[in-house]
Amino acid sequence: MLANYLIGLREGLEATLVVVILVAYLVKSDRRELLPRVWGGVALAVAVSLAFGALLTFGPRGLSFEAQETIGGVLSIVAVGFVTWMVMWMARSARSLSGDLKGRVDVAAAAGGASLVLVAMLAVGREGLETALFLWAATQAAAGTGGSTAGPLLGAALGLGTAVLLGYLFYRGAVKINLAKFFTWTGAILILVAAGVLGYGLHDLQEARVLPGLDSLAFDVSNVIAPGSWIGTILKGTLNFSPATTWLQAVAWVLYVGVTMTLFFRQIRRNNRPSTAPTAPARTPAGSPS
Amino acid sequence: MKNRRLAAALVAGVSLPALAACTDNSSSSSDATDGRTIAVTSSSDACDLSSDTAPSGRLVFTIKNTGQEVTEFYLYAADGKRIVAEVENIGPGLSRTLVVNADAATYVPACKPGMKGTGIRSELTVTESGGSGKASAAVQEQVDQANAAYREYVEDESGQLLAGTRRFVAAYTSGDDARARTLYPTVRVHWERIEPVAESFGDLDPKMDAREADLEAGQKWTGWHRIEKDLWPPSDQPYTALTKAERATYADQLLADTETLHGRIGKLTFTVDQIGNGAKSLLDEVATGKVTGEEEIWSHTDLYDFQANIDGARVAFEGLRPVLKQKDPALESEIADRFTALESMLAQYRVGADGFVSYEKLDTTQVKQLSDAVNALSEPLSKLTAAVTL
Ligand SMILES: [Cu+2]
Repeated sequence: MLANYLIGLREGLEATLVVVILVAYLVKSDRRELLPRVWGGVALAVAVSLAFGALLTFGPRGLSFEAQETIGGVLSIVAVGFVTWMVMWMARSARSLSGDLKGRVDVAAAAGGASLVLVAMLAVGREGLETALFLWAATQAAAGTGGSTAGPLLGAALGLGTAVLLGYLFYRGAVKINLAKFFTWTGAILILVAAGVLGYGLHDLQEARVLPGLDSLAFDVSNVIAPGSWIGTILKGTLNFSPATTWLQAVAWVLYVGVTMTLFFRQIRRNNRPSTAPTAPARTPAGSPS
Repeated sequence: MKNRRLAAALVAGVSLPALAACTDNSSSSSDATDGRTIAVTSSSDACDLSSDTAPSGRLVFTIKNTGQEVTEFYLYAADGKRIVAEVENIGPGLSRTLVVNADAATYVPACKPGMKGTGIRSELTVTESGGSGKASAAVQEQVDQANAAYREYVEDESGQLLAGTRRFVAAYTSGDDARARTLYPTVRVHWERIEPVAESFGDLDPKMDAREADLEAGQKWTGWHRIEKDLWPPSDQPYTALTKAERATYADQLLADTETLHGRIGKLTFTVDQIGNGAKSLLDEVATGKVTGEEEIWSHTDLYDFQANIDGARVAFEGLRPVLKQKDPALESEIADRFTALESMLAQYRVGADGFVSYEKLDTTQVKQLSDAVNALSEPLSKLTAAVTL
């Protein structure tokens, strides 16, 4: 029960964190009209994953291991691209939000809006197939002929539910902090998340032997942070931290974080410089840009 | 709308490679019985496989987690490092399925309860099964049938050869030469149909079927052709007919050798490549012996042998035909056509129900025609074995 709960929690956190930040951002920048696109992307990803997972589980055909790893790996890396774009978009539009260029907001929103569906879809869909396969296996166990057990399905559902609840709480907290801090913090968090996803995607491709170096480990702290433990689950679910990390993963993570963080904070500084006034009033209510 | 198109493209982009890389799922009833499904039980301290051997091709692992921690199942290559396939996220109480197309090799299966470390490892030996997946199970059934059918055919012909030889030697030893001459070609048909099998017994063949021209220095000439010469004595060279006692000696030995042969054939089993190669060597017999008129140099009954060799090759081919039809339909129809062409050409020389004209009656053009038809069949037939065993 607990183990299945933790799998559900982990997979749920992986999917929700990016979506929650995206939703909080849209609400905070008063672009609620774009929310349906996000939810649409999420719904589409869930539907496709569940349908595809069911097809592979109950249908006449399964998916080869290489194919599944390659799908997970490629989707993860594509997701990194979109999340990175989203961070930079948020950073740039933070400036227009804080300043007097209100007209720019709508331009940015129109351009970015089209991609919001994809960001949401990729955030949920990149691990959606694996999660769906896990959930259908739990459903099979629950409906099993040889002594059914609903425990795993219940555990997985509670885990996913907890992830959604945590996501909601994070959202509530995030929309309360002031706009400048919000951009800085959520941007930095997203970069760390994306770096983890990048490493994860590379590891998938290493396992599928699309990329080499699966056995060259940079470090292995599995004995301190067990993958099946609470702390392992939370770290994996949020930052995609894997206790046994290959050199390729580690180097990619450091490079990505180094480059993206630098660009991100340079943009944030640029946002603050031309305007003499503070970026935003200290206590802007949610959804009302100055 | 733009995002809808993008989304659709993305869905397609995800689904298409997935479908292209798809592999058959389990749930075939034959899987359970032919060793292609391996049940893996992963507990907290053990990783039990229902079998440590499996046939090459499509294998289905069903991994059940009976432990308390989340487990993973890996199938490593023999080096224990390269991942051939894996399943993650097997929660306690869950079963996950892993489908692998495995070549013949040694593999290292491993369960990783707690998702860490090198796992609980063992060894899995995958043996060559001559194919992969469900198709091969069906093919294997056809192969088994072909082997059994050919064995039955050979034993039946060998039995008829023995019975015929009894009648033949009885007529010969009693001095009924006319009856012996009539029986000679029709009894030998049963020998010629299974000639490669008979020839596989190196000690019997020279005693039973040696031709005078092929005798080695010091080799005593016995068997069918020794008696043939006595029944059709040459008119252009001095020949001393065998005495009654000599006739009995040769006849008794031929019968005794035929009995030995029949006894040994009863213990034989056949494989696809033996059948395929046998068909080919029957055609070679035709090309090197019958078409040249050297086999029955005194009786000139070569066309009987000719037809019998073709009969034997045809039976071998027909047995393998269902397998060949699946593996190489073009070759299958080519061989069938060439058989028909050769058989209808041979049919022109038939006399009565099961007789043939004397080989002396054929002119060089006709011999050339037959020879060409034999070669035309021989060429595709030489590919039969490779086509059915690959
Ligand atoms: Cu498929």
